[in-house]
Amino acid sequence: MKNSKYPTYDVMEQQEHWDEHTRSIVSSRLVREHGYRFLTTVEAETLRAWCPLLVDDTRADIIQYVLCHIDETLEKNKGESQRKPGVPPERELLRSGLKAMEQAALSAHGRNFFHLDEETRRKLLTELSQADAEPSSVWNGVPQKELFGKVLALTVESYYSHPTVWSEIGYGGPAYPRGYVRTNIGQLDPWEAKAEP
Amino acid sequence: MIERRYEQEEVDFVIVGAGAAGGVLAKELAEAGMSVVVLEAGPWRDPQHDFASDELSMKSLGWQETRLVSGSDPLTMGHNNSGYGVGGGTTHFTGVFLRFHASDFMTRTVDGVGEDWPIRYEDLEPFYDRSEREIAVSGPKHFPWGEFHGPYPYPEREPLSPNAYLFKIGCEKLAIRTVTSPLAILSAPFEGRPPCINRGFCNQGCMPNSKFSTLIVHVPKAVRAGAEVLADCMVTQVLMGADGRARGVAFRHEGREYEQRAKIVILSAFVVENPRLLLNSANAQFPDGLANSSGWVGRGIMVHSSHDVYGKFDEEVRLYKGTPVLASTQELYATDPKRGFARGYTLHAHGSRPLAIAQGITRSQPLDLKPNVPQAGVGSGSPPVWGERLRHMMLDYNHYSRVTLVGETLPGADNRVTLADEKDENGLPRAKVNYSYCDNDMKLIKHAVQTMSSIIKAAGGTPEFVVPDTAHLMGGCRMGTDPSSSVTDSFGRTHDIPNLYICDASLFVTSSGCNPTNTVMALAYRTAAHLIDKAKKLELQALQSRA
Ligand SMILES: Cc1cc2nc3c(=O)[nH]c(=O)nc-3n(C[C@H](O)[C@H](O)[C@H](O)COP(=O)(O)OP(=O)(O)OC[C@H]3O[C@@H](n4cnc5c(N)ncnc54)[C@H](O)[C@@H]3O)c2cc1C
Ligand code: SF4
Repeated sequence: MKNSKYPTYDVMEQQEHWDEHTRSIVSSRLVREHGYRFLTTVEAETLRAWCPLLVDDTRADIIQYVLCHIDETLEKNKGESQRKPGVPPERELLRSGLKAMEQAALSAHGRNFFHLDEETRRKLLTELSQADAEPSSVWNGVPQKELFGKVLALTVESYYSHPTVWSEIGYGGPAYPRGYVRTNIGQLDPWEAKAEP
Repeated sequence: MIERRYEQEEVDFVIVGAGAAGGVLAKELAEAGMSVVVLEAGPWRDPQHDFASDELSMKSLGWQETRLVSGSDPLTMGHNNSGYGVGGGTTHFTGVFLRFHASDFMTRTVDGVGEDWPIRYEDLEPFYDRSEREIAVSGPKHFPWGEFHGPYPYPEREPLSPNAYLFKIGCEKLAIRTVTSPLAILSAPFEGRPPCINRGFCNQGCMPNSKFSTLIVHVPKAVRAGAEVLADCMVTQVLMGADGRARGVAFRHEGREYEQRAKIVILSAFVVENPRLLLNSANAQFPDGLANSSGWVGRGIMVHSSHDVYGKFDEEVRLYKGTPVLASTQELYATDPKRGFARGYTLHAHGSRPLAIAQGITRSQPLDLKPNVPQAGVGSGSPPVWGERLRHMMLDYNHYSRVTLVGETLPGADNRVTLADEKDENGLPRAKVNYSYCDNDMKLIKHAVQTMSSIIKAAGGTPEFVVPDTAHLMGGCRMGTDPSSSVTDSFGRTHDIPNLYICDASLFVTSSGCNPTNTVMALAYRTAAHLIDKAKKLELQALQSRA
């Protein structure tokens, strides 16, 4: 198990140095909000069993934020920037994809996806990522790689926007109005994360 | 409801899109005393309150509405290449401000590839001068490549970032000359704006206003000179008269339709939306879309190949520190017959933040430096990286350095924007964007990935992976002298409709191997000068005929 090089660094300790708008955006990610506006409970539970494997992290509060982000993105439906022809719009892709994953789990293992053990879930996701998921009757019409890629993108963009994860990788976080002064190789400004042996 | 000054009037100019080109045109034309209305699809933001030091929330600076993407290298759109809101792409661009070289305007003559532009470097030179002077571009005392050797209006940036220093070390070991990048970012105060504080969020919008954007420079000047700039107004059609001239445009604001009449319509809505608008405005007289008698509307779109090579170092690099791009080289810019492909590229040391690098890693490809194995393009390659591997790589975030390519791609007629069958919420057909690299592009990428890897190695790091990516969009309404193979003349006036102009990155004939915005703006200054000149002559004629 590989660990953070900066175990005691907490980027949130710097929040008084951030502008108000940024502070409210970042701190809202620490709030655990549970009301879903797009996802059904079953869909949310399927994702709760899915997303942690994508980022190799099961911490409940961070994963909850990821689910809220996915829910909010689908609810707002602002546009996907790009989509390949023949791939359904993301709401439809996610909805039919989560359902297909449920059915695949039920047909192969007789249990809900979220009741499967980690190894089995990982195997199903690996197959999905390579468009090898079975049975075809269940996956018919669901573009597997696109589905996998969509959940991965939504998960990764929120996971790596969570301040706890920023602290772990030693990212300096928001920087306004205070910027960086010591920028030579090996130099640190006093508030930056210091690697701990 | 929207308040409008010219609701009942025909203005001199209506400009569609308040981006790099639209901002320059609005300022120049308004300052010359013309009546100008600018219609911008996206919002009008206040940098200090609407921007944030945050990648995820600032994705909204990009054009998020869905485009359909096809081809063997389907493009990533949105924040990757399309701006949305007053300022357009300049609000979230990186600020690298380069000029084309003379050869970029004549690739057909020089290298037998692409197409020649209807203008030469000398035609744009005075406008490059203006475009750089008016925003106090910072750059080196001496710039060793191309036609312009400096000095820049403002001194080069100092200090640089750890990643830029490593890049310079690596290049020096390989005898590759580097410079501190010419940037549309202040190194000292200018017109009430402060110098850069090295916070590194240029792609999320500059909060202190140190980086130029037309949102904070050109649009306010245009407004002071009397231009009307209307945000949240999406133009849906160019309105045509029975005489074959444009009457104005139709636009939508908060669900309602409006019209603006104008003597001259200028489209500055960028590479995807200009063709979409022209094709969508087809009528009985122009059944294939406006200004499309050549069939070139939407064709010949180009990107820059923009593969990123990441290398790992024992010491910390910290890619988040400092302005993202601070060091560059154009040593490999010119065609070298020994390399086996035409044209060349620029390399930049390029910072990266957690979201961008994590998403890059999921799409990353292993480095294969063997000469005959093609480097994967955007649409191909190995399966996504996720799970433990992704987390482990990200725990080393602070040990990665990155070099980024800006590689020339050749124009192809089938790389094009068309209308999809699918409609958006307003019932307009979505844009479809087809893109595939050609053989020359792939060879150039391969060469560049090798160079980037050797630079990282020479600096003491281990090149670890490559992220296939693209940057910038150009072309789609290319200029030219021949009306059967181009959409506009060299000033952006469409061959088919005398009072319909196009002016922005979509005019590009070839892509060059460097960042495009200085050229976009120089073209806009040139078009503005031409329009002002024309207006003065008309005025003179009118005076003379009255006398
Ligand atoms: C992340 C990123 C980094 C970049 N970095 C650099 C760099 O370092 N150096 C460089 O030279 N270039 C860079 N660029 C490229 C640069 O942003 C573009 O070259 C430039 O903005 C193009 O200018 P334009 O005027 O053609 O279009 P834009 O600036 O994109 O403006 C077009 C405007 O038109 C509006 N519009 C579109 N359709 C309509 C419609 N129907 N009605 C009303 N309005 C409409 C859009 O909302 C937009 O505001 C970068 C781009 C991105 C995305
Ligand atoms: S690095 Fe400088 S130019 Fe870029 S956003 Fe920060 S202050 Fe602005």
